[in-house]
This record gives sequence, structure tokens and C-alpha cells, in this order.
Amino acid sequence: MSKFQNILDSYGVSRRDFLKYCTALGATLSLSPALAPKVAEAIEKDDRPPVIWLEFQDCAGDSESLLRSNRPTVAELVLDYLSIDYHETIMAAAGHQAEEAQRATVEKYKGKYICVVEGSIPVNDDGVYCTIGGKSAVQILNEVGGNAAFVIAVGTCATYGGLPAAYPNPTGAKRVKELLPNKTVINLPGCPMNVDNLTGTIVHYLLFGAPPVMDKFLRPKFAYGKRIHDNCERRGHFDAGQFVNAWGDEAHRQGWCLYKMGCKGPETFHNCPTVRWNEGTSWPVQSGHGCVGCSEPGFWDTMTPIYNRLPNIPGFGVEATATKIGAAVVGISAVVFGTHGIVSLIRNKGMVKKVEHEFEDEE
Amino acid sequence: MADNKCAARRYVYVWEGPVRISHWLNFFCIIFLSITGVYIHYPFVTACSLSNAPYIMGIVRYSHYLVGVIFAFSVLLRLFWLFMGNYYSSWKSFSNPFKKEDRKIFWGYFKYYIFLERNPPHVLGHNPVALVAYIVLFNLFILQIITGFALWSQADPNSTMYAITGWIFNFVSNQWVRFYHYIFMFLVAGFVINHIYSAVIFDFKSQSGEISSIFSGWKPERRR
Repeated sequence: MSKFQNILDSYGVSRRDFLKYCTALGATLSLSPALAPKVAEAIEKDDRPPVIWLEFQDCAGDSESLLRSNRPTVAELVLDYLSIDYHETIMAAAGHQAEEAQRATVEKYKGKYICVVEGSIPVNDDGVYCTIGGKSAVQILNEVGGNAAFVIAVGTCATYGGLPAAYPNPTGAKRVKELLPNKTVINLPGCPMNVDNLTGTIVHYLLFGAPPVMDKFLRPKFAYGKRIHDNCERRGHFDAGQFVNAWGDEAHRQGWCLYKMGCKGPETFHNCPTVRWNEGTSWPVQSGHGCVGCSEPGFWDTMTPIYNRLPNIPGFGVEATATKIGAAVVGISAVVFGTHGIVSLIRNKGMVKKVEHEFEDEE
Repeated sequence: MADNKCAARRYVYVWEGPVRISHWLNFFCIIFLSITGVYIHYPFVTACSLSNAPYIMGIVRYSHYLVGVIFAFSVLLRLFWLFMGNYYSSWKSFSNPFKKEDRKIFWGYFKYYIFLERNPPHVLGHNPVALVAYIVLFNLFILQIITGFALWSQADPNSTMYAITGWIFNFVSNQWVRFYHYIFMFLVAGFVINHIYSAVIFDFKSQSGEISSIFSGWKPERRR
């Protein structure tokens, strides 16, 4: 019995479950089913690169996402048990011991390990807003991220700044790519990121030795290549013009489209509708709440108000919706030109006679 | 009583075919795109049950895209005619701020609008203040077309259309692109009010057939 089989047994995962998982993971990565055995091989191999998980300015939601399951899943097994050498929240070691483990991995696997970053990095005031073991987040990221094979930024905070970077951004929170501009950074946004996409990205690297194809926001296309709206199970209701108008109304009970309730599915690229959450149980729209657009650049600022279609206009007060401002523009032009018309009427009084006389005089 | 009396000395063909075609295509497209666009922003008609005419939003979106393409070609035609057309429709009729004569006419019209001048010098083509509004308007049109096609192309980020228009999302997040695409409609609506009002007032004031000229192309050259 191989070492890997022992691990599977100790986690209570059957060989069959493991292979089923590999097939599902291959599907997530848009690979042919014929490649499932290769996926399994890649995971089973002993020379997997270790993973260092850095956590900065965040809520540990992505760690939660990793650990969320009520039974050990294969994803957790692959990530947690097999690969992750350093993760402050889940590692047994603490204090200097933990820092030592991190340093040892960085030295031993320099340029070979994978660095996962969770949380944004504050840069204001020399980065004092987030320090671990006396070092600022910026320093740690440069040391650990800078020496990694590549960096995976997980969650919207690490990928685009997220909530800490929302206006007015008091800590000067930045995303990973801004601080490591020359490093290969793979963004897995989401609040939190979906752990299946993280496993998929790592397995893609194990399988092909290269990061997956990415879009211009550095998101893997297998996970962020399509809009939520275009894969949504309620899309038929959208096209049919069947909309929820108020929470709990008849349409809401029928499971109609949440577009008018401010669902950001049409603006958000993510594979939530197909991969779903909590082991494929459900996802926000399925449970009756609109998408909030958590995985788009600029979340939180651009995606709020959550229950309106468009952002409010800064500088015009909280309730200044685009429609109100637009109606005001039209109203003002109507008033201005209406007034102009009345004044012109008065000014042009007698003009008709005058012009007609001029022609008669010419005769 | 002279039975052949006419205010005009002779008629001048001011607005050539492409100008008028593009004008009226824009007119119909703007109305259609505004109504369908407002529906897409806020679906004011909702299907009550499965039985009555489902696919409202699908049809509205499809026609918005189709008319959007027609509008884009109409704007392109007008921009082409900016370089190929006669003097009145050409960029050559733009006021040159370095020419004293042009400045004088421009300020004459500007003063007319703010009631400080009764008789600005007559011009046969666009009045120079209105022309500034048209230049702003066409920039709005171009922005509407780019943002519109960019939003459309998000359905497939691997498409050619996304490659051509998707660069806009590097500068503005897609929520704000939507926002601008929506708010520009109101700016165009404000312009329409101005445009119809000004056309009427100048038709009356100059007795030179402002309004009929956009149907026929002809304008009378005034005797004085």
C-alpha cells in the first residue's frame, strides 16, 4: 500500500471517491475526461511543490473556505495535508517555531514553492497596520512571494484590494500584483474564493507545469471566463421578462430573476453557477439573493449599493441614483429652454409685421 | 400684389443626401435605443405569467443590439461625410478660433442666445454655437457606441468584439461603464430638447427654412 493510499485511508476517503474528485476537477479545468488519471497521478506524485499560505489584512474567509467542509474532502486533503507547509490559522506550530518552518521552506525550495496570499497589503505608514513576527506585510510578501515559483492571490482583498481598499482606504491597502509587479501572479478573486478553483489552479500547475490561461485581470479563464448571468439557472426568467419586484413577493417565491433587486450577475465573471459552494450544494442566486459581484475588480466601491443596478454618484449625496441625476439633467434643459422660449416670444413681438413690411417696402 | 413674391433670392443645396439620411437614422435610432435601453435598465413591463409573450427582455435586448449596430453605421456615415461632404457638412465649417471673423460670428450667436444681441450675422450652414454642441454630441455618440459594444462583448471575453472594445475595462470598471452608458442617454435627451427648440426659434427668426431643410436639403439664400 502506497504512502498516498495510507493518507487517503486515514482521511476516510476511498480510492473511488478520490478518482471521482479528480474527474470533477478535470471538468472544472475544462479538461477532457480522458485526462482524469493524469490528474490523479499529478496529485499522487511525491515531488509536489510545497505551499506557503500568507495571510494579511483580511477576515480569514478564504481559510474558512478551505476548511469549510463538515467532513474532510479530497480538496482539503490535497491542499492542507499534502501541500501546505505554513498556514498561520491551521498549522500546529506557533510563534518562532512557525516562523522557522516558513523560513526553512523558503530556503529549501527557493523558486520552487507556491505562495498563496490571502488579504490585502497595507502600505501606509511603513505598513504598520499589519505585522507578523515583527515584520510588516510588505516585507513578508517581498521575501516569501518574491522567492516563490509563482504567487496565487486568493480572495478579493489579495487580488484587487477588496474591502480594506474600499473608500477611503485608511491603511493604503494594495493588491499583491501592485507590490510584486514582475512576479507571475494568479488572481482567484471572490469573497471568499471558491476552494475548488484554488485546487484546480494548483493541480493545473502540477499537471502542466504552467499556470492556467488567464484573462487581462489575471484570473484563470477556466473559472472566470464567463459571466454569472450567462450561466445562471434563472436566466430564462430574465429573458422572459419575469422579475422579482420585492423580497418575498409571488415572483420571488417562484424563483424568478433577481435583476431588479440589484443582482450583479450581469457584471460578474465567476463560475459560481456551475461549481457552486459547500460541496456543490448551492450558491447565492439559487438561495434567492442576488449576486453582489464580489469577484470583480473594484468590489466593494463599484458594486454597491447591493440592491441597486448602478452605483450612486459620488458628491451628490447617498441617494443620488443615476436616474435621478439624469432626470434632473433633462428637467434643467427643459426649464432653461422653456424660459428662453418665453423670453424670445416677448422679444420677438412685432417681428412678423416688421419683416412683412420690409418685403412690401422693397416692392 | 406680387404673385411670385419670395423671401429668397435663390436656393442653395446645403444638406446633402448622406447628411439627411444619417440625421434621420440617428433620430429613429436614438428614440428606439433610449426606450429599449431604459427597459434594459429598469424592466417596466414584466411578464405576469408564463403564458403571455415570454421572451420580452430577450427581444428588447436583441433589438437594442441590432439598432445599436445601425446607429454605429449611421454615425460612421456622418463622420465619413465630415471629410467628403460639401462645405456646410464638412469640418471646414468649424469656427477657427484664430480667425477674427469666425470669433465675431461665434460671439454674435452666443450673445443672441443670452439675449444680448438681436441680429447675429446670418450663416447658411450650422450656426457656430450649435456646431459646438454637435461636436460634443458626436463625442457622446462615439462613447455610447464604444461602451455599448464593450458591454455587449462581455458575453464572450474571447470574442473579436471584446478584443476591440474591451480595453475600456482597463480604465473603467464595468459597473461604471454601464453607469456612463446610461447617464449619457440623459445628456442626449437634454440635447434633443435644446436642438428642437433652437431649430424652431432659428427657423422663425431667420426665415430661412431651418426645419424644412433637414427634409429637403435646400435653404434659401437671403436677400440681405
